[in-house]
Amino acid sequence: MTTRAHPRRGDPALGAIAVLTLGLYALFIVVPVIMSAWKSLTDENPLKPQTHFVGFDNYTEMTHDSALSDSLTFTLLLTAAVTIAANAAGIGFAILLNKTSLSYRMMRTVAFLPQVLSGVIVAFVWRYILAQDGILNDILTTTGITDKPITWLGTPHLAMFSVGLVAAWVLTGFTTVVHLAALQSIPVELYQAAKVDGAGRRQQFRHITFPMVAPGTTISVTISMITMLKLYDIIAVLTSGGPADSTQSTALYIIKCAFTDNRFGYASAVAMLLLAVSAVIALSVTGLLRRREVDL
Amino acid sequence: MTVSTSHRPAASRSTAPSPSTGRAASIPRAKRRKWATKGHLIAATLVTLAFVSPVYLTVVNAFKPQDQIVSDPAALPVPPTTRNLTDALSRPDRIIQIGLTNSLVTVVASVILIIPIGAAFSFWLSRRSAPLQRIVLAVFGAGLMIPPAVLLLPTIRILTFLHLDHTYTGLVLSNVGGGYLAFAVFVYSGFLRSVPGEIIEAATVDGAGTLRIWWTIVMPLLRPATATVAIFLSLWIWNDFMNPQFILGPLHGQTITTGVYQSLGQFSTNYAQLFGVMLLAAVIPVAGYLFLQKQFIAGLTSGASK
Repeated sequence: MTTRAHPRRGDPALGAIAVLTLGLYALFIVVPVIMSAWKSLTDENPLKPQTHFVGFDNYTEMTHDSALSDSLTFTLLLTAAVTIAANAAGIGFAILLNKTSLSYRMMRTVAFLPQVLSGVIVAFVWRYILAQDGILNDILTTTGITDKPITWLGTPHLAMFSVGLVAAWVLTGFTTVVHLAALQSIPVELYQAAKVDGAGRRQQFRHITFPMVAPGTTISVTISMITMLKLYDIIAVLTSGGPADSTQSTALYIIKCAFTDNRFGYASAVAMLLLAVSAVIALSVTGLLRRREVDL
Repeated sequence: MTVSTSHRPAASRSTAPSPSTGRAASIPRAKRRKWATKGHLIAATLVTLAFVSPVYLTVVNAFKPQDQIVSDPAALPVPPTTRNLTDALSRPDRIIQIGLTNSLVTVVASVILIIPIGAAFSFWLSRRSAPLQRIVLAVFGAGLMIPPAVLLLPTIRILTFLHLDHTYTGLVLSNVGGGYLAFAVFVYSGFLRSVPGEIIEAATVDGAGTLRIWWTIVMPLLRPATATVAIFLSLWIWNDFMNPQFILGPLHGQTITTGVYQSLGQFSTNYAQLFGVMLLAAVIPVAGYLFLQKQFIAGLTSGASK
């Protein structure tokens, strides 16, 4: 046993920690998911004395809940748009900053800053920037790009765009640093060898840069999407889901059903839907991107 | 480089003028490259400055009086005033002092618990069979993807059942048990795969107990992973908003994020106050980041390459 580097099986201390860890994880991840699944089949409401088992009533109601379908559409649209925008911007920014001298390293430090700030603070700063009398409208009107200030947070479509803009700004800090790291991990020898073989810049990009950066992109895209499906703080501060519920993501809708409407049962059913959507998206996109890496 | 120059002299560092006939091409290549480098630097700088302008606005406006913020938001604060900061610190609700203290306590308690538990568990896991490792890591990975809004309501019910609702103990416990622990296990497990088994084997032959091996040999080896875990968990728990907002509730004290939310929600046009509060709320994570940026980037890089 000792020669195979296995500790004595009877050693209780580590085993106890393992049990504790698995127990904690079960208590705060596994049990809540099971509880949600169970409660989604009830009409639990803290203001009502009794809870009844209602079968799939909540799920039936979800199929004709237009607020839910709006929020789900917004969430999916936001997730897709911001993931694409933040990763495209991150790749471009990373290519621009892909040098190692001091000034470029300082710029890299600065580029990650939005990731360090809490979503609450980010959203307050942007609420100031995007305000009717805010600095963005100042710039736009004084330069004559628009003649009237734009209500960035006041109309449904613009508010949706603004939430996406702020979320993309935060995420770009992350996607830039990940892609920069991927770019800088490519051995210079590969490019030298390609040059010797007569490969042009485009060919070098196609056959070296692109495939070598792909694993970084996989991570970056996956984490971007998970972050967007989870997003709560930025929206809560920037628009609180308004105007007219246009920026109410599914995460916000769950909170509203649970804590404003006190409909625990229904909120649990919506939570199960968001969980299923997140799982499907995360698994399929990771699978898709992984396959592309192998293909190249 | 030498290989490349010998094959294609004009392509790399050669300073020889290009034999081309055009006027522009008669400028020596090295000089052209120098201008290109300068142009690149200028472009990169401009893009970076535009990108961080929201941060710039926060910093300069925190040191300007209200009328100057309104009339000239982008200008540097000349002369700077510390009035906004002292005002923020002398608010009757003491939101900065209370928020920072509560956030600090929550972060330190959570991280101090997660690190040894996560590291010891990963060590235990690293010595199990490969299929078991795969299953456990898959289950933990799934936990990282679950939106917190999905878990919030049942988590509060569980904490209520344990009589820990609306308490910091409850908040810390849910931090320790939730996705943060899964992140720690992921980082440690990834790192442990690169630790040669012989080191631990040798200690086992020497007759050291598992817990002693973990503490005296494994933990020092895991130091870079511990840095990554500590840095990112501190940042995330510090910036967390939803969990403190609903698990603690407004009547049971504020962390810095919920405090800023509560106090700034009311006055949206008193920008002097807004920026003063925000600068003080953001200064600790930003200072920590600037101080530890090498570890930050290294952690992100090692995480992203796995």
